[in-house]
Amino acid sequence: MSIVSPPPSRTVRPARRSSSVIPWLGIAMPGPRSYRVWQRNRDVFFRLWKAESLPPTIEPLVTLLGLGLGLGGYVSLGGDQEYVQFLAPGMLMVFPMFAAMFEALFGSYFRMDQHGTYAAIYATPVRPEEIVLGDIAWAATRMALNTAMVLLILLALTPWMGLIQSPWVVLTIPVGFLVGLLMSGLAIAFTSVARSLSQLSYFFSIFVLPMFWFSGGFFPTDQLPAWATKMAAIFPLYHAVAVSRALTTGVFEWGILGNLLWLVVVTPPALWLGIWAMRRRIIQG
Amino acid sequence: MTAIIQAAALVKRYGDFQAVDGVDFSVEAGEFFGLLGPNGAGKTSTIKMISCVQPVTGGTLHVAGMDVGSHDRQVKAMLGVVPQDDNLDQDLTVRQNLEVYARYFEIPKAVARERVADGLELMQLAEKADEKIDALSGGMKRRLVIARALVNDPRILILDEPTTGLDPQARHLVWRKLRLLRERGVTILLTTHYMDEAEYLCDRLIIMDHGRALAEGHPRELIARHVGRDVLEMRLSVDENERVVEALRPRLGEGGRIEQIEDVAYAYGVTDEHRRLAEGLIDDPYRVLFRRANLEDVFLTLTGRGLVE
Repeated sequence: MSIVSPPPSRTVRPARRSSSVIPWLGIAMPGPRSYRVWQRNRDVFFRLWKAESLPPTIEPLVTLLGLGLGLGGYVSLGGDQEYVQFLAPGMLMVFPMFAAMFEALFGSYFRMDQHGTYAAIYATPVRPEEIVLGDIAWAATRMALNTAMVLLILLALTPWMGLIQSPWVVLTIPVGFLVGLLMSGLAIAFTSVARSLSQLSYFFSIFVLPMFWFSGGFFPTDQLPAWATKMAAIFPLYHAVAVSRALTTGVFEWGILGNLLWLVVVTPPALWLGIWAMRRRIIQG
Repeated sequence: MTAIIQAAALVKRYGDFQAVDGVDFSVEAGEFFGLLGPNGAGKTSTIKMISCVQPVTGGTLHVAGMDVGSHDRQVKAMLGVVPQDDNLDQDLTVRQNLEVYARYFEIPKAVARERVADGLELMQLAEKADEKIDALSGGMKRRLVIARALVNDPRILILDEPTTGLDPQARHLVWRKLRLLRERGVTILLTTHYMDEAEYLCDRLIIMDHGRALAEGHPRELIARHVGRDVLEMRLSVDENERVVEALRPRLGEGGRIEQIEDVAYAYGVTDEHRRLAEGLIDDPYRVLFRRANLEDVFLTLTGRGLVE
């Protein structure tokens, strides 16, 4: 009650860390409340879903028709494979990934900076780690949803174009979710250090766009110079397209296990990076 | 009475900047407690530590007996926080804003639905329930943020400058709602740089400046203690200034004092006699104001500066 000087025992101590933080990870283990944040994003999406679900179906359709039928006439791939058939597995990963990137870059930036959504949630018992994981999981969900939508289109066109050759193709949906987690973890880490909305486009120009072209979705990367083939393998999308190609065609080689393993192993560190980096930004306020 | 918030030698540092510099205070359960001070006084930093969104740099801080550093989740569960900026969820409707917020507290759906309806009713927003946030006025947004802060039935409601930027009518409506909540037994902690707000609402307050607590008490009692009952406020031209101040100063009783901010002189410890003297020296009666002292005068007396710069 008084404002007299404090007793001597209560001297200034260094800042304390929240007891739940695991020292060697620098973050607390996110709990089930991440789901509350995922739910929030889902509710927003379903208010606007009609507007949001048109582009993900149009983009791959236009690409299939434009590149596949147009350019495809000039492209011959060994065997009797048509170019449009070569494109199909990429469509299941490449464009859906854009949806996840928009969520984890622009969506998260708005929630973090412009709208104060993160700050509002941070005032509740939801931990910052859970806010970030919920957001990443939502971005991954968007990717999986879009993969499913593209799959429906490919299935509808299959009687004419022979795009899908294997029932295993349904597994591209969970693979889409996995790739979404990985890519959104990286993207949200980038978002956490962005100082303006326009800086987010660097991530697109430097990382997403090269990955888009060199992922093996539009042409086989093994015809590139050796160094470029090697470089393509550092892109998560390269491995995603390889797995998607196997699931779409039903042609499995041992190398596919390597691609899948690559995705499985890289995802946890990518998630950690996203959570760790964005947590810092949230706590800084 | 038991202290529900207890701060001792509380310190907050951001790098080299000492935002809160050893503050002690305690808030009793059911009390309406204020932190009054100008921008940069350390009010917001103090409540950010209480609401567990900024770590404590030094000293101790307990909410309902729990250390805020180690019990952040439990503390947050019992707080309702109204931040300075309206961080409502733009992408959701009025009702959804509250329902989604209730989920962050793991409140069961049926309970949440009831609380949301009550909150909208209480804050006079029931007919706006399905509107978008954009469609609300500034005052409505503020009330919605308060309704949101009530959704977890908090023991303590914390408000950071709740009426900044509101027009007078909207402001009075918020004030009435806050008094109503206090009557219902909610402990309220509020920051403000409006002395009239603090005077009207608070049972007790501390006056802060540069991260320190300068004085603590009931508003009326603080005024009586530091400035007395009445004030003579005079707007003086340069050549009048010396003449008036020199004439008044020797006639002031014990505890009487003159403070000046730019062209305004404030004389404390004054009576009707001083008013007549001043009116005789200043030809324009509109530049002499004899009035009851307020918290602004307390702050001016303690710091030599005004509250709002």
